[in-house]
Amino acid sequence: MARATLQITRRTFLKSALATGGGLALAGHALTTANAATGVGVDLSPDWFYGGEIKQSYNCCSMCPWSCGLIATSVNGRVYKVDGNPADPKSRGMLCARGQGSVSFMYDPDRLQAPMRRTGERGEGKFEEIEWTAALDEAGAKLKAIAAEYGPESVAIFGHTAGDFWFTDYLAQAWGTPNAGKPSAALCTNPREEAARLVYGTAVGGHEPLDWDGSSASPTTALQCLVLIGSHIGEDARNTVMQDFSNLWARGGKVIVVDPRMSTVASKADYWLPIKPGTDTALLLAWMHVLITEGRYDVDYVAEWTTGFDELKAHVQAFTPEWAAAITDLTAEQIIETAHVMADNLPRTAIMPGRHVTWYGNDTQRMRAIFMINALLGAYGREGGIYFNKPPYIESYPHPPFAVTGSAGGCSAEPGAEGNELPLGPTGKARADGAQRTFARGATALQELIEPMISGDPYPIKGLIVYGVNLFHSLPNPERTKEALKKLDFVLVIDVLPQEHVAWADMVFPEATSLERYDDLWTVAHKTPYIALREPAIEPLYETKPGWWLARELGLRLGLEKYFKWETVEEYLNERLLSIGSNLEKLHAAKGIIIQQGKPYLADYGDSSPFPTPSQKIEFYSEELALTGYDPLPLYEAVDEPPTGYFRLLYGRHPVHTFAKTQNTPLLSELYSENDLWLNEDAAAAAGLTNGDYVMVENQDGARSGPIRVKATPRIRSDAVFMAHGFGQQAKGLTNAYGKGAGDAPLITRYKLDPLSGGAGLRVNFVKLIPAAKREA
Amino acid sequence: MFTFLLDLGRCIGCQGCVAACKTGNDLPIGAQYIQISEKTTGSFPAVTSRVTNQRCLHCLDAACVTVCPTGALYKEDGLTRLDRTKCSGCTYCVDACPFGIPKMYEERSSKCDGCAAVVKAGGEPWCVKTCPSHALLYGERETILIEARTRLIMLQKRYPNARLYGETEAGGLGVILVLPDEPSAFNLPVDPQLPLTVAAWQKVVQPFSLAMTGLSIAVTGVAALIARRNHVQEVKRLHRTAAAELVEARAAVASGQSDGGIRAAAELVEAEAVDGGTVKTEEQS
Repeated sequence: MARATLQITRRTFLKSALATGGGLALAGHALTTANAATGVGVDLSPDWFYGGEIKQSYNCCSMCPWSCGLIATSVNGRVYKVDGNPADPKSRGMLCARGQGSVSFMYDPDRLQAPMRRTGERGEGKFEEIEWTAALDEAGAKLKAIAAEYGPESVAIFGHTAGDFWFTDYLAQAWGTPNAGKPSAALCTNPREEAARLVYGTAVGGHEPLDWDGSSASPTTALQCLVLIGSHIGEDARNTVMQDFSNLWARGGKVIVVDPRMSTVASKADYWLPIKPGTDTALLLAWMHVLITEGRYDVDYVAEWTTGFDELKAHVQAFTPEWAAAITDLTAEQIIETAHVMADNLPRTAIMPGRHVTWYGNDTQRMRAIFMINALLGAYGREGGIYFNKPPYIESYPHPPFAVTGSAGGCSAEPGAEGNELPLGPTGKARADGAQRTFARGATALQELIEPMISGDPYPIKGLIVYGVNLFHSLPNPERTKEALKKLDFVLVIDVLPQEHVAWADMVFPEATSLERYDDLWTVAHKTPYIALREPAIEPLYETKPGWWLARELGLRLGLEKYFKWETVEEYLNERLLSIGSNLEKLHAAKGIIIQQGKPYLADYGDSSPFPTPSQKIEFYSEELALTGYDPLPLYEAVDEPPTGYFRLLYGRHPVHTFAKTQNTPLLSELYSENDLWLNEDAAAAAGLTNGDYVMVENQDGARSGPIRVKATPRIRSDAVFMAHGFGQQAKGLTNAYGKGAGDAPLITRYKLDPLSGGAGLRVNFVKLIPAAKREA
Repeated sequence: MFTFLLDLGRCIGCQGCVAACKTGNDLPIGAQYIQISEKTTGSFPAVTSRVTNQRCLHCLDAACVTVCPTGALYKEDGLTRLDRTKCSGCTYCVDACPFGIPKMYEERSSKCDGCAAVVKAGGEPWCVKTCPSHALLYGERETILIEARTRLIMLQKRYPNARLYGETEAGGLGVILVLPDEPSAFNLPVDPQLPLTVAAWQKVVQPFSLAMTGLSIAVTGVAALIARRNHVQEVKRLHRTAAAELVEARAAVASGQSDGGIRAAAELVEAEAVDGGTVKTEEQS
């Protein structure tokens, strides 16, 4: 860090000077005030030792979807610090860097501040500010006009992050559009959830249910062997997972990491398998071969709780470690040894399901293979294996029947949100995304709604509401998305920041961040099911409004009064809480968390089965897939190889950033402002590139992004490059993020549709590197 | 006496501590008390990578405190505190620290003070409070040492080279590090030594400056200017000496008579020559 770049304002310096001088006396005062006000112990840092009115509020972090419980501390109406809520089962009193950045995210000076109406062409970014009433009336009228001509089905609603419920779930279902969805489904977890449903009858859910600590966190009951397929704990900084991993690692648990790149967690693993990208299913089949042919599986468990084992046994006969070694670039010895380690620790062994699993278009079958190994190891419902999560009991807000049952799904959805028959909207139309036509089933596939916007097939999509989704960084092929946006009659964007796609809106609604608003209760399916409060720390800044208010005001203008009988969100929340004998005041007094009893283990189900499949057992062989013409047992399918001179484009997480959401947050931008292109050091040398050089990245279709800094390293295979997702943003209103690094999304012009889940396999693009100058600041 | 535990086995590099430190202490853009990076050796696929951590190690016998002419840096409860109101901006601490920790912000020294005010109010340091990997602890030195030794026993099962660092190094550190590997894997000197210059400053410069701090703030300012000018000349002279020693040290190493102390001094000079005194991380995570 160069000295010249270091700045301290005079005011800050004086503040810290004062604080250091008078710290002790003021500290005592502040502490007393806080205790009197909230009854909660407070510790304060020097800079906010000014007494004043200290307030603590409970919320769930919305810097990533993990949603750790937090306590926001504000003094005289300014939030200074957020800390993990010790009562929360996910944060347990701790937060990651992104969570710590919540306050910086809220006070980002680049925020959208007032409602705006477009004045230039779509994409130009020319707007005029208007009053809320006019903005809502106009948006309501436009949406109503589309519904009158085509039906509400012709308005798509894309939503993500805390608050999406009000739009993709509540408003969409009340009004009657089945075309509501989240990127967390078909661009993330759909294959996982479909595979889980097929194999053991229920979805994985928001919190991957590894039984890290068992019942006592001792080696006799806790998870003892963890297998990660591409999951990069630490860089993917899900707080609870980092805590649990750390404990497992420190007590000597075995860690096996399969990743073409030596992630941070791979650097701590007992076994790093630098697999050739796209060949994971071959490895999984060979692991099953070893476990089954050597009899190293849980024989009693398999006999009692599974069906189709004989078919599986016959199926994997041919998939020897030697066969897989040739495909995966691993050795047969590595494959056999790691299989033995897994077996030695059963049933306290698990392959972590992971989250973003839309890789190659055959992803549901890969995920099935993962779950089958977990079943062979006897992990489901066993202490130290994989527990059964359970949603907490609480009633929905009492509303009249919805106009359509939604399929938004997503990683935070309740299991089983979508049924077997596609629900029809008020004018008789089902989802336009190709469900049951181009893919079997799964939650709404956002990327499959783009073509209907352009072609009108199977019916026209004419309107779009985008809530918190960074359109050009979460969907593949942003140029095609822009083509689609040009065709629409009305585009409403609700966001916090002037992201690039905001420039394509007809109307922009600026939203309050989660620290400025109530949200619906956060109900978490978990080992210990729980309900968490999300209450505001301060009033919304500028002219911004909370999501619940926006959804309701729009709903009233769409004639949906009967669904929005509540006038304030407090009324809505208290109505729900009444069903469990609580209310907002009691929930706040309970530190924002109500924990219920779970049913994590097989023993909790008595004589009934915890596996709601047709056979009531774990199904290795799927009759459902056989009947519908799909492979009833998973097969390895070769993926396309990179052409000469090209690398496979891989992407993932950096610990201080989430999606394409946090790159502009001042604190987090300071910690990591531009991403690096991980390139094998030998490949770099061959290309005449060294650490710190800049390159433009160009894909097979000529799409470019960059310049990006080269990280020449031995920590990645030479046939792939890797970058942290979400950089290369082109919105000029984002002071910190604009033009920094390269984005993977613009380079993902192609994807491979997973026929089972509608997932978009995104790792099928290849890139070459073109030396370039660093972008001028 | 308070001590931190920093377990670089457990640390997974998430930077939660970095962010918590910045928000809790309300540090401005550019000021950062903890820096995390990764250090990689080997070639694919036989690669070793370690999470490294740069932060004040709160030396029990702290060179920065020894050379500080104004008393801005001082020891309390075993930790090295910094009262920025007293800092004259002389940069002695920047040059004296064997770990390259203090940085200058707005011409005054800046570094971790162990969240003095928070701890006095009954809380934990912000970094410790938020660490999701349980890589950071804070407590009485004896308690921390017991925990560190317990962790080491487990760690050595995975890494035979694992060790503790800070029990005796540099006369004992206020941060006990649990290391999975030898110190150099984490950019830590095996046997940290005070730069040879420290003793000289202690004898020559400090008595003069201490006398000055007894006077009014205005006079302190003047003293700082004088001290700074003296210091610049002193540094130049000492660097010339150290450069000569570096040549000698290299000769000694070449002939098999290595001397850690001289090497530390040499490294200081080299670091200064490379990038003006800040320590570069090999690989940014």
